[in-house]
Amino acid sequence: MVTMTTTAAPAATTPVVGFDQVTKTYGSVRAVDGISLRLHPGETVALLGPNGAGKSTTLDLLLGLKHPDGGTVSLFGGTPREAIADGRVGAMLQSGGLMDEVTVAELVKLACSLHPRPYKPAEVMARAAIEQIADRKVNKLSGGQAQRVRFALATAGDSDLIILDEPTTGMDVSARQAFWATMREQADQGRTVLFATHYLEEADAIADRVLVLHRGRLLADGTAAEIKAKAGARRVAFDLEGDIDGAALRALPFLTSIDISGQTVRIQSSDADATVHALYGLGVYPRNLEVAGLGLEQAFVAITEAEEAKQS
Amino acid sequence: MNALIKLELARALRNKKFLFFSVLYPTSLFLIFSSSSGSGEKVDGTGLTVATYLMVSMASFGALTAVLMGNSERIAKERESGWVRQLRLTTLPGRGYVFAKIASAAVVSLPSIIVLFAAAAAIKHVHLGAWQWLALTGVIWAGSLVFAALGVAIGYLATGDAVRPITMIIYFGLSILGGLWMPSTTFPKTLQDIAKWLPTHAYAALGRAIEQSQAPSATDVAILAVYFVLFAGGAAWLYRKDTLKA
Repeated sequence: MVTMTTTAAPAATTPVVGFDQVTKTYGSVRAVDGISLRLHPGETVALLGPNGAGKSTTLDLLLGLKHPDGGTVSLFGGTPREAIADGRVGAMLQSGGLMDEVTVAELVKLACSLHPRPYKPAEVMARAAIEQIADRKVNKLSGGQAQRVRFALATAGDSDLIILDEPTTGMDVSARQAFWATMREQADQGRTVLFATHYLEEADAIADRVLVLHRGRLLADGTAAEIKAKAGARRVAFDLEGDIDGAALRALPFLTSIDISGQTVRIQSSDADATVHALYGLGVYPRNLEVAGLGLEQAFVAITEAEEAKQS
Repeated sequence: MNALIKLELARALRNKKFLFFSVLYPTSLFLIFSSSSGSGEKVDGTGLTVATYLMVSMASFGALTAVLMGNSERIAKERESGWVRQLRLTTLPGRGYVFAKIASAAVVSLPSIIVLFAAAAAIKHVHLGAWQWLALTGVIWAGSLVFAALGVAIGYLATGDAVRPITMIIYFGLSILGGLWMPSTTFPKTLQDIAKWLPTHAYAALGRAIEQSQAPSATDVAILAVYFVLFAGGAAWLYRKDTLKA
């Protein structure tokens, strides 16, 4: 009786994306090395990593364009192909080309007519801000414009999951920020959005969950804030006069890394308040003290460096 | 899939170079080649006038151009550009892309045949019965499917850089050796022996049989059928291989 009443409906617990110990090898390179993860409905997730981290392979596996050597990939509890055939997934890939010698409007119309729950082409173009280039030939677009057209193709219908592979590549800073608003709109409509990026600012600005991928492995999974904390959230810099007691400094609490060059000391700390308090406790007189937040960029570098140091 | 066929077609009809080569070029060649001979002149051993004989050759050549040239190159280039991948992220079944390509080529090859027939009848006074015109159109149109399959196979075999020369070699090789440009009876013996096993030779021979009011030779039908199985099978196999790789 008890088990019956506490069993939730299966639909509510089915993850949007399920990776279970997925591996993919090319020759001797493990592009994806035992990744397990679940994405839940409504999440906006950034897949963050440098070039060659395995982001594109991960997305290819997720979309069924590649098949894993080991482990299983599921979308909405079924195979990727089933989910795509049902129109539940809209995706733009970096490697996804466009049909050339047709106009932007023609291509968007095609995408709409291929979707089982299409939006009106005019609506789709307005959302992607490509109405002004509707009559332009696809092969005459700039990099940023082509990205917007790809985005339009990925959002041509009412899909539950939107996959965007480095969506703002080729856009300048202002175009990128305008595009983020467009991405947020998708998330605000309750869709699950997964985007790959190496713009760390992008992950920080949009995602409510960040997956850090490095050499085919999942290094970190959390909010942007948690990832910053994991890497050492704040930077403390100061100058000291006279001989510096390196050993004492290295023993400071919450310190994650330290760099002493000349009279200048730079520390990364996961709790800067406690570290600075302890610093005064050493009886030294730090001058030019600066405490600053770490951007996700530095956090990311710190995580990957720590991982590399562990391996070597 | 209809939407994709429509768009492929719109694109093909917009491409003036492609339209010229698949529609006007065979007709122009026909008029040039047939101008050198008198209207009563017959091709040895066929009982057909030169113009009548050449009409089938050039209609076959035109259909071959329409279904082979555009598709092989487009498929190779669109595989490379990633458009094929992007389409696989839509509800379109994987084969839909290939079918749309073949269907759009088939729509272009039809005017190619009809324009040439009209020129032959009006300018070169080729006379045939109504059933012969219809049967010729049907046979040449349907037979072009063999080469459409070949075009798809080449598109999945070649890279974007190599596809044009490869297509050209196969295209001219099949056209000339198959006797579409000049009767293969004018070839030296060795070439004649090769020619009679080529799909283009069998293809034009089917059309010629209709002109002569004869039943098509079983050998020619069999040769075309074998090539169709070969090309379509090859295209299907290469397509599947490409899908697994992509």
